[in-house]
Amino acid sequence: MRLIVLSLLFCFLVMGCATTSLPPVTKDFKLEDDEKRLWLRSEEEQEVINRSGVIYRGEELEAYLNEIAEKLQPAEVFTHIPFKVVVIKNHHLNAFMYPNGVLYVHSGLLARMDNEAQLATLLAHEMTHATHRHLIKQFRDTKNKTAFLATISVTTAGLGVYGSLATLLGSIGTVAAIRGYSREHETEADEEGFKLMASSGYDPREASKLFTHLKKELEEEKEKEPFFFGTHPRVVERLENYETLLKTRPLEQQEGILNTEIFLEKTSRIILDNARDDLRAGRFEIAERGVKKYLIVKPESAEANCLLGDIYRQRAKGDDLAKAKAHYQKAISINSSYPDSYKGIGLIHYKQGEKTVAKQALELYLSLSPQALDRTYIEGYIHQCKEGGKK
Amino acid sequence: MKKILLFVLMLAVGCAPWVEVGGIYKTESHNFSVELPQGWMRWNQGDDLIITRDGVLLQNIQVVRPNIKDPLKYTKKKFSNGMLPHEVAEIILDDVASNQAILGFQLIENTSIEICGFSGFRAIYTYKNKGGLKIKSVYCGFMADPWFYGLNYNAAERYYFEKDIQTFERVFKSFKLIKTA
Repeated sequence: MRLIVLSLLFCFLVMGCATTSLPPVTKDFKLEDDEKRLWLRSEEEQEVINRSGVIYRGEELEAYLNEIAEKLQPAEVFTHIPFKVVVIKNHHLNAFMYPNGVLYVHSGLLARMDNEAQLATLLAHEMTHATHRHLIKQFRDTKNKTAFLATISVTTAGLGVYGSLATLLGSIGTVAAIRGYSREHETEADEEGFKLMASSGYDPREASKLFTHLKKELEEEKEKEPFFFGTHPRVVERLENYETLLKTRPLEQQEGILNTEIFLEKTSRIILDNARDDLRAGRFEIAERGVKKYLIVKPESAEANCLLGDIYRQRAKGDDLAKAKAHYQKAISINSSYPDSYKGIGLIHYKQGEKTVAKQALELYLSLSPQALDRTYIEGYIHQCKEGGKK
Repeated sequence: MKKILLFVLMLAVGCAPWVEVGGIYKTESHNFSVELPQGWMRWNQGDDLIITRDGVLLQNIQVVRPNIKDPLKYTKKKFSNGMLPHEVAEIILDDVASNQAILGFQLIENTSIEICGFSGFRAIYTYKNKGGLKIKSVYCGFMADPWFYGLNYNAAERYYFEKDIQTFERVFKSFKLIKTA
């Protein structure tokens, strides 16, 4: 921590008299000396994140995300800032950009999006932070030096409760991911990002819809999130900005590409993995929404139908158990050798005292999954069923 | 290395409420007794029993007894009466896996066992802590309404886990409830 503060202090001293009026990145762009140091520091911080095991590995998904990023910026900008989108396994709602063009998107945020237009909104917003050099401007803003340092000290202290990612972030990552930029820079990112996504042909109405989703979710969950896009006031700011920006566009320019199907197809695995994590964490409603979204693209997935059954079985409110049975049955009708569906159905019947049906289903589960980790429990339940009970 | 760790531990003992343990540890308020190993140190604060020999980050044994109505730390799932033993295990393991401070949670074993006459579970899993150290854990627990009793051994997978697993097994075998309903 002391090292970070000292190195930042050094940066500030060096940059004491430098201007904060820097042009955006164009074909004549040249990195300034202090900016080079920030880029180097960014690379060091990224190495820590990349080595830590938080990265979601999926070549097809990464290729898709980077393809969308390429659509949003002219090639000449890419020659100066080699943008790269990387996914982080983390359920918190966030994305953050380093000044050297490496953009981290949390799986939790991707799983909440509906279509490519919403993804383009987020990427374009984040890319603007890099193209408009917000970080170096903020570092050079001498008036804010003390406050800036103080904020970093405060925000990095005690972040451990939000998990390993929060503690992995260095000073630049902390600004980008947690603190966010100044209101002025964030508004600029909204405005320029909105122009980029709309000029790339995406439906501009989707920009505000993304933040409407996030706002609704934050209000429903009442969970305090540490990151920028999971902070209610910041989300409301984005929402209001995008709504205002949309009003400035003529009605005939308020339509565009959504690419819902391709987006859901490419992100489907992440949606399902995220739903599984949400179930583990007891966020039943979010998990349910996630699986239902996945089922729009892959309705014939035994795995997803079974997972939806698990969500209802574990929540067990109202008619949840009936819904769970129906989804397990659907999973069996799709793939009769998918073992977990039999386990789910067997456990419901076991708890309801219907021992004969329970025994049959649980035995089938073990025969299909002989190496099941929970084998001893299931054998115990089968044994209980043999001892008698309701038919 | 060991000497440095011991030195750090001794320093910690000097300014923090760590006490040396050994022999029977009985807590009427928590309704259990357990035999603790000689030469280990006990964290003398909070509700849970935590002991270590080389430092809590390298190895620790914890005995916890939350009320089943209390919320868990990382999962919003709740215990309820009439839960099957594997459901109790599932909630505990989901709580561990939902901790954002750990990475790469992997369940290795999950079996039903009897503890103090109650149906319980024994799970073995690994994960990486926020310092990147791979930890191996054993978690044994059971529900005796209105309490959940859990005995948990966590140690660095390399060297430390094997070194003290037998100590944990002895602690586990000595665990008794003072009164049973």
